[in-house]
Amino acid sequence: MKDKLSKIEEEALQAVTVVTSEVELQQLRARYLGRKGEITAVMKGMGQLSPEERPLAGALANEVKDRLETAFAVRQESLRQELMQQKLASESLDVTLPGRKQGRGYKHPITQVTEEVVAIFSALGFGVAEGPEIEKDFYNFEALNIPKDHPARDMQDTFYVSEEVVLRTHTSPVQIRTMLEQEPPVRVVAPGTVYRRDSDVTHSPMFHQIEGFLVDERVTFGDLKGILTTFITEFFGSNVDVRFRPSFFPFTEPSAEVDIQCVICGGSGCRVCGQTGWLEILGSGMIDPEVFKSVNYDPEKYSGFAFGMGIERIAMLKYGVNDLRLFFENDLRFLKQF
Amino acid sequence: MKVTLNWLKDYVDFDLSADDLSHRLTMAGLEVDAMEHLGEGLDSVIVARLADVQQHPDADRLTVCKVETGSVTQQVVCGAKNHKTGDLVALAQVGTVLPGNFKIKKSKIRGQESCGMLCSVSELGMADESDGIMILSSELTIGQPVFKELGLKDIMYEIGLTPNRADCLSVVGVAREVSAMVDATLQLPEPVIVESDSPAAEKTSVVIEDADFCPRYAARLIENVKIGPSPEWLSRRLEAVGMRSINNVVDVTNFVMMELGQPLHAFDFNLLRERRIVVRRAKDGDQFTTLDGQVRTLMGSDLVICDGAGPVALAGVMGGGNSEVNEKTTDILLESAYFNPTTIRRTSKRLGLHTESSHRFERGTDVDMVPLALDRAAALIAELAEGAIARGAVDIYPEELTRQVVIITASRTSQVLGLDIDADDIRCKLNSIGLKSELLVDRRDGAVSVEVPNFRPDLEREIDLIEEVARLIGYDHIPVTMPVSTMSCQQLPAHLSLERQVRDRMVQMGYAEIINYSFFNADCLGKIRLAEADQRRQNVQILNPLTEEHGTMRTTLVPSLLETAARNQAYRSEDLALFELRPVFQPDNGSEVPCESLRLTALLCGRREPQGWAQSAEPADFFDIKGVVEQLLLHLKISDVKWQTEHDEAFYHPGKSCALYQGERLLGTLGELHPEVLHNFDLGQSAILCDLDVEALFELSNDTVKFKPLSRFPDVQRDSAFLVDIDISAQQALAVLGKVKIKDLESIELFDVYCGEGVPAGKKSLAIRACYRAMDRTLTDEIIQNLHGKLIKAMEREFDAELR
Repeated sequence: MKDKLSKIEEEALQAVTVVTSEVELQQLRARYLGRKGEITAVMKGMGQLSPEERPLAGALANEVKDRLETAFAVRQESLRQELMQQKLASESLDVTLPGRKQGRGYKHPITQVTEEVVAIFSALGFGVAEGPEIEKDFYNFEALNIPKDHPARDMQDTFYVSEEVVLRTHTSPVQIRTMLEQEPPVRVVAPGTVYRRDSDVTHSPMFHQIEGFLVDERVTFGDLKGILTTFITEFFGSNVDVRFRPSFFPFTEPSAEVDIQCVICGGSGCRVCGQTGWLEILGSGMIDPEVFKSVNYDPEKYSGFAFGMGIERIAMLKYGVNDLRLFFENDLRFLKQF
Repeated sequence: MKVTLNWLKDYVDFDLSADDLSHRLTMAGLEVDAMEHLGEGLDSVIVARLADVQQHPDADRLTVCKVETGSVTQQVVCGAKNHKTGDLVALAQVGTVLPGNFKIKKSKIRGQESCGMLCSVSELGMADESDGIMILSSELTIGQPVFKELGLKDIMYEIGLTPNRADCLSVVGVAREVSAMVDATLQLPEPVIVESDSPAAEKTSVVIEDADFCPRYAARLIENVKIGPSPEWLSRRLEAVGMRSINNVVDVTNFVMMELGQPLHAFDFNLLRERRIVVRRAKDGDQFTTLDGQVRTLMGSDLVICDGAGPVALAGVMGGGNSEVNEKTTDILLESAYFNPTTIRRTSKRLGLHTESSHRFERGTDVDMVPLALDRAAALIAELAEGAIARGAVDIYPEELTRQVVIITASRTSQVLGLDIDADDIRCKLNSIGLKSELLVDRRDGAVSVEVPNFRPDLEREIDLIEEVARLIGYDHIPVTMPVSTMSCQQLPAHLSLERQVRDRMVQMGYAEIINYSFFNADCLGKIRLAEADQRRQNVQILNPLTEEHGTMRTTLVPSLLETAARNQAYRSEDLALFELRPVFQPDNGSEVPCESLRLTALLCGRREPQGWAQSAEPADFFDIKGVVEQLLLHLKISDVKWQTEHDEAFYHPGKSCALYQGERLLGTLGELHPEVLHNFDLGQSAILCDLDVEALFELSNDTVKFKPLSRFPDVQRDSAFLVDIDISAQQALAVLGKVKIKDLESIELFDVYCGEGVPAGKKSLAIRACYRAMDRTLTDEIIQNLHGKLIKAMEREFDAELR
């Protein structure tokens, strides 16, 4: 019996090494280890052995069976590996083909720049306010210290809806509305659409502005310089020079025009900056006491500054866009670049 | 306002480079818009003498000139008529590049050699237009550069003045600023008047009938003048600042206006009826012909200068043709006056007549400059037109305008500007621009009392003076600080936050944002088949539009979106996914201000997927845009909406469009465009649109999230297909299924709709998938069978559905 088992084991181990598929391996397993397999048959024959021999033979048979089980398992694993390697070797892609395109949307550059400016001022603690695009003369002019018959009205050509109602010429009316609703301290930026009766390469009858203002006790012109310089370095980069120079707006005093070093030529003078090396990017100033009076703020107690800038203007500088009209033609070839 | 470097130096002694001066002016608030080097690069244009002028043998209009330039004589062909032998002329030698990049070359003109060109004033860039070539004064040196000889090597600065700086509408005004910069004294001209024995008061008189409109009127009579051309220096100086030379008298009035900022007017004294002046308001309806030949209809609010019979000038705006100085004029009445700024502005604006004179008067001239300007001009006219100044000036000034006194304190100034400045510093700064300031020593806050001269009508309040101090210190010297301010939370207002979210969602879903003008031509409403009675035909008109295309405020975003789509298709961008999120405007009954409401309009056309080797070329359809709308509803957490086939929007395909409601509230519409509308907008392929009332969506949106616990037990799905009548909508079927009350039903989804083979005509197959799951146990087959049976029964009962 011992010889018989040894022979079966030897045969089986030999057979395992030559099988090439899992199916063959299963068949081989059934032949040796199955219920009708050869080992089983040998073990069934153990009844004929003497009671002394039986346990020894049983133990021997189990050992052989265990060894065969292990051999089958090892072979099975190696076959699985071989198969996987074969499959991997046969599969490949031209990975240089373009990927499947996903639909992509685009935010209008005006929106993007507006959001960027708002984000900078939000980080500086400014809230956001809005107002109507069609405004009463009072909010657009009178309350901003621009009375009728004042030469300052010529600074902005206005679209009228009726004698007392205009398409707002700037976002400054939001300043008035906010101050009428809120007591100081206020810190607000107000982005929006504005209209002026003007149309050529550098003027559009509709464009966008962002207005900002801060009112509190003891706000100074130095603070105005601080906030706007911070904004400019955040938006245009810290290597850009800034200068403040006197100007005039009816609703601020002292008023300042803010220039940055030309981003096209770096200050050496070019067509974009009119050879001056500087680009005008925003108007600002300390809020005029007359404005405080029209919103019932005490000019003795409070001071504040206000500023406003054209979104198209800074978008053109930021992206190097050379024609204002492109913003409103909505050519996808343009929109897709942002 | 244009000034030149040399002209400024007549009144203030300074030594700044051209660029330096430009920078300093800009930083003082007088922004230099442009700077021009007069005569730069034109040294090869030299003074030459015409030794001989002959008719060109082969051309009637040309002459052949022999030109002496000192050592040599050259031949030049010339097309002008105003020259003769012996004249001194400006010769541009071969190689010169004239303004406008015009290069002078040696050439042959009709067979005659020509070495250079004889120049006109405009060809040398000294004036915008001119007649004939420039004939130079005989005193100039032959062979020398013309610009140098004329003293015209100069720099012109064009200053973009802000409306508050009326004082700088004169060379002297700008010079005053320069004097403050360089700490030098301003030298005003000091005219020397030599009067004749003939007393002016006996020959003429001035009466002011309205002293509110005309507080001061002065005049001088100058007799026996000879009207003629101005001397070289005068016409060149006017031309350098952009004015045309007319004759010696008119040029003097313009010169003094540019010099001192006081507009003047010269009347032909003998054309003044009764030889006297009356300043009064016009009568409503009066007709008056101004110098430019236009007949003006006047109003009672206009101020006119009259003679004994009627108007001879529109005060401060323009003179009249009836009293104009002309070649025959011998005696002149010279006017120098101060008019009320608002009066002049109203008249000038109403008549659309804007002149150098009205520009200055409406911004406020200096009442104290009236006599000096009068004397300055009179002396110049006497000198240049050989006139005799009658004895005594007429100067009617019924009530002297007082100079304002304003108090400025060092404490307030320091506080507004954020720096430390003391009262004496303030006093010095303000005095440097001609103000009269004194320290108020008995006050402790560093007060300075400032008497404001009449040339600075803009300085009325302390804050105005603080601005002057800041300007004179230089904004660059004010320290940069950050505000010390009370902290408060500044969140984006809810509707702005929602607007941003909707925009972001649209972009994420592949749509490109567009921005169109808020105005349109209301005719485009016909192109989108809007009914005559449609509310959107009630619109807001602009009273003064730039063009008819921009005459009306938009009441709908649809037409401009379709125009944008058509334009892009024309540029061969055929697959479009566009949206616009902007307000529309409509009259608001009961309010003078129209109502603005935000809308979202989106358009889709062409392929659903981007083009690519592994991508479907299927065209987009209704369900793509519906999917977009559903995404927005999900994002805004708006549920219980109804898709209604019936709607009034005629720009959609009637069978492939619907309206979106929640309850009775219309939230928007969506659908495929009507073929007629596609045709009207030249759209080459079908397009799908949605048009949503964003304000309504925002009102219905809610951001509350309520967590539902998760079940630990497995779900069971059951699919069933029903045969129903073809006109039963999915919404109807889902509504019925939704009403069946089953506790453990987790979801029902419609996963297939089918007509065709195997389905009888007039029927369709709707396949649903129900998913069951309980919180507390695994559902048995038996229970599921029972639950699902309820759904089947409901379908059978309501629609006579047949289980397939």
